[in-house]
Amino acid sequence: MKEQIQQHVKNLLAEGKIKGFLGLRQQGTDIGPYLFTTADELEDLSLGDRQDPGDSRYPLDKILKRIAHKYPTDTFGVLVRGCDERALRQLFAVSMLHRDRVIPVGFACPSELAEKHQCWKPFPDALVAGEVSPGFAGGEDAVGARLDLLAKLQEWFDTFDTCVKCYGCRNICPVCYCHDCTLEEAALLPTGDIPPANPNFLMTRAMHMVGRSLCVYCGLCEEVCPANIPLKSLYKLVAKVVGQEGTTPEGRAAQQKTSGSGQQAVGSQG
Amino acid sequence: MVGLAAAFGSGAMTNSIAEIEDADCIFVIGSNTTSSHPLVATRIFRAIAKGAKLVVADPRKIQLALKADTHVRHNLGTDVALLNGMMHVILKNNWHDQQFVEERCEGFEEFKQLIDNYPPEKVAEITGVSADDIAKIAEYYAKAEAASIIYCMGITQHTTGVDNVKSLANLAMLTGNMGKESTGVNPLRGQNNVQGACDMGGLPNVYSGYQAVNVIDNQTKFESAWNAKLSDQIGLTIPFMLSGLSEGTLKALYVVGENPMVSDPDIGHVEKAIKNTEFLVVQDIFLTPTAELAHVVLPGTSFAEKDGTFTNTERRVQLLRKAIEPVGESKPDWEIIQEISNRFGYEMNYESAEDIMKEISTLTPSYGGITYERLQGDGLAWPCPDKEHPGTKFLHKDKFARGLGLFHAIDYQPPAEVVDDEYPFWLSTGRVHVHYHTGTMTRVSPTLHAEIPEGKLEMHPEDGERLGVRQGEKVKVASRRGEIIAKVILTDRVDVGVVFMPFHFVETCANVLTNPAHDPIAKIPEFKVCAVKVEKAA
Repeated sequence: MKEQIQQHVKNLLAEGKIKGFLGLRQQGTDIGPYLFTTADELEDLSLGDRQDPGDSRYPLDKILKRIAHKYPTDTFGVLVRGCDERALRQLFAVSMLHRDRVIPVGFACPSELAEKHQCWKPFPDALVAGEVSPGFAGGEDAVGARLDLLAKLQEWFDTFDTCVKCYGCRNICPVCYCHDCTLEEAALLPTGDIPPANPNFLMTRAMHMVGRSLCVYCGLCEEVCPANIPLKSLYKLVAKVVGQEGTTPEGRAAQQKTSGSGQQAVGSQG
Repeated sequence: MVGLAAAFGSGAMTNSIAEIEDADCIFVIGSNTTSSHPLVATRIFRAIAKGAKLVVADPRKIQLALKADTHVRHNLGTDVALLNGMMHVILKNNWHDQQFVEERCEGFEEFKQLIDNYPPEKVAEITGVSADDIAKIAEYYAKAEAASIIYCMGITQHTTGVDNVKSLANLAMLTGNMGKESTGVNPLRGQNNVQGACDMGGLPNVYSGYQAVNVIDNQTKFESAWNAKLSDQIGLTIPFMLSGLSEGTLKALYVVGENPMVSDPDIGHVEKAIKNTEFLVVQDIFLTPTAELAHVVLPGTSFAEKDGTFTNTERRVQLLRKAIEPVGESKPDWEIIQEISNRFGYEMNYESAEDIMKEISTLTPSYGGITYERLQGDGLAWPCPDKEHPGTKFLHKDKFARGLGLFHAIDYQPPAEVVDDEYPFWLSTGRVHVHYHTGTMTRVSPTLHAEIPEGKLEMHPEDGERLGVRQGEKVKVASRRGEIIAKVILTDRVDVGVVFMPFHFVETCANVLTNPAHDPIAKIPEFKVCAVKVEKAA
């Protein structure tokens, strides 16, 4: 799978279609984002599987936004999974990236990863490599019981008490793009203390993520949270409250089922 | 570290960070873990989710207290009494591990006699913690299958710091919570490499790997390795350097990555000492208040600009890779030291940080098996004596580093300075979640600065009312050593009669107030307790 990506990117570079390719590089056992600009460097390309599939994911779209800002007239390639491609589209929609200057190079996630993150479409449309697996089919929500807001309100507040205000959820989020972040507005959310205003701090972020249907449910926020706060479940809960249930993994899976679209249409390319 | 070394024979976190999440009881004392070690707090939260009991002993209602099964707020500096009281209850109820005590430890009888003098009722009077609470936390800790102690500066920064640590060691040995998974006595080291700096002999009495300078075999070993004559005399600790500078017996000071003008107690005294220095060299990445007084400033590099290793709180040696070239004229610390040494006529010819690690492994038994190649990935936790050794997850497994674990009979001593009519408030100092040490790195970050731009005094609302001070108003805080003006935060995080101030801020420098009285053995100053008076600022 990696060879196909490497070859594909080499071609893009050779044909001059891209100035560079934002992917992941492995150094020793460490994996991190890297902007590849020559074919030789691609030797060290990684797909983000250190020990387990997808255990070393990064918000490459968000990093690309910074690169594109610095080189506004160049075109770049970017490594994408299904969730990354969804995030990319969000950034196109709000003009944070220009769709003509980004060439996504996609690969499919294995079903175990899709199940783990409840991903209803674990592959991008720009699929270059990987076996397409069916993805999350909805059904029983593991945290379903917690989604009854009023019944579990105190439980949520107790969970929020562990927040250390590290901003990790915001900083890792591929679709958090605001220049001035409401979470840093001292007039709305008092500064200086941990836990931060409970529930205002985490609820404000949740509203921002789902109120405008931004969240792509990649789960990176939950992965980095040092307090293990189940943020994805929180966003689902808020989505339910504000009538955006259709944007949750369960909602998307249900839509996919009724429309019959999805993986069958794309098929396997490797 | 001295306290643990005396009890166990090795001064470091006994267990690894990841093990915390499988403990059945976690006893946190003198550590504001979510604020200062959030990733250790992660493991505590995971342990709670798995059903562990959390006991927090802290005079302040810290964030972790919100999650505690029991939070006790003992009076400042009464840790020994509290711990003795817990052990009294444990012995009374036969909750101790007799077999472990008999087989693995010594000094028990004398210790036991002393503990007799600490019935919970008496301890309640000293500590302000009810006898019921003392019994409850003793039971939680003693009855747990695996109980882990986590402590930090709230234990060590006292005139009785070593006594406090030894008391924690007593508690762990008494209940057999040593040398097993998810147990132990675990000091959290603040800086990413403070463990490494100590391991490398950044202390006045040892070479790398805690090899004493006044042991002739060690001296000869290092003399032949370095081809130089070495001293067998123990060097100076910071308090003695400062008094030496004041008295003129010490002429020059070379400060690397420290900022004593903000971090040391009784700043007035520190400033006099530093200004009396004939020649002051400061090596740092920013122009700190101490560097401003220097005759020569040498620009060091930040973590991002150098190769090397950091040894973290769990003894794990981790590889650091250079991400960017050094900015401006800065150089990695080892290169600066090498150049200075060469100009002094002692030739050093290291080519790289890795070159130095090769020497470390030949001279330091606990680092004997550590090479850059083996450090790829997750690193290695010492002791790692040879190339095949996988590193050590937890210490003292079948026997203590010193052979038998040593019980110490320790009486409670009050802090060096106690409140009186003139200075009626207890002052404690510490950290806030967004700032690091003297703020030289964190206060230049716009986001962190915006979160907490200035140092304020925490005071209980009842005290505020009594003094006629409202939220955010300025107060004058004075101790026998100096005075500062700061805004007040009225909060019940502190108890009535107690005030707290972070020490990160040079403008409202808490260390103008603190007491330089220090532990007789470890020489750590009593940053955590002194007496002050507070009045509304004019």
